[in-house]
Amino acid sequence: MMNTLRHLSRRTPTTTPLTRRFATESTGGGGAMTLNFNLPQETLYASAPVKSVVVPGAMGEYEVTADHVPIVAELKAGMLTINFEGGESEKYFVAGGFSLTHEGSATDIVCPEAVKLDDLDSAIVQKNYEAAKAAVASAEAGSMESAEATIELEVNRAMGNALGLSLA
Amino acid sequence: MSTPTTFWRLAGVSYVQYVTKASSTVRAALKEPAKSKALAQETFSYNRATWTNGEMEKKNLVDSLAAVGK
Repeated sequence: MMNTLRHLSRRTPTTTPLTRRFATESTGGGGAMTLNFNLPQETLYASAPVKSVVVPGAMGEYEVTADHVPIVAELKAGMLTINFEGGESEKYFVAGGFSLTHEGSATDIVCPEAVKLDDLDSAIVQKNYEAAKAAVASAEAGSMESAEATIELEVNRAMGNALGLSLA
Repeated sequence: MSTPTTFWRLAGVSYVQYVTKASSTVRAALKEPAKSKALAQETFSYNRATWTNGEMEKKNLVDSLAAVGK
């Protein structure tokens, strides 16, 4: 009896809700996407129409364009690039945060800190990288100090890569 | 979900502590004038008071990480 009733609740292509997933074909694109880019201390972009955003996800870098499938990603320290319709682009170095892309081509990016590459001092990055490397070597494995030194090491390495430094 | 997979979680550091530390590292590498403007974001200040039996025992101003918990 259960087998005969099961067909009543079966999800068919006409009854399945229209939620896009990674395997779903895109409807075509050509629309605009809007960007909300917020820091705790400042709103950088509010509903700004952009062409695409290159997001430094912790699981890998990806580019969001109009009609991108909804995705939530944790960010790693790295470069975020905003490409505008006219061809200009703007780059920020972000310390971390999250990027949420919604249905309807709106993307929210929230970061605790985002700076321009021009504002970063290569000499300080080099110095702090060396200091962090020494701190990791001297700290007890698995301790809080070791974790903090590793965070500094990785973020300084990311800044060095963004600035074009060759850090050992 | 119960087994930590990140080095910071394994060392007992929470996500908020991790991302705050990463932000501080970025701010430390800035040039002036952006640096002073950004470091202002890191400053904090609060009073911490201990109470026993409805009476306040001591009150301390906490304005740096060194003074936290005292």
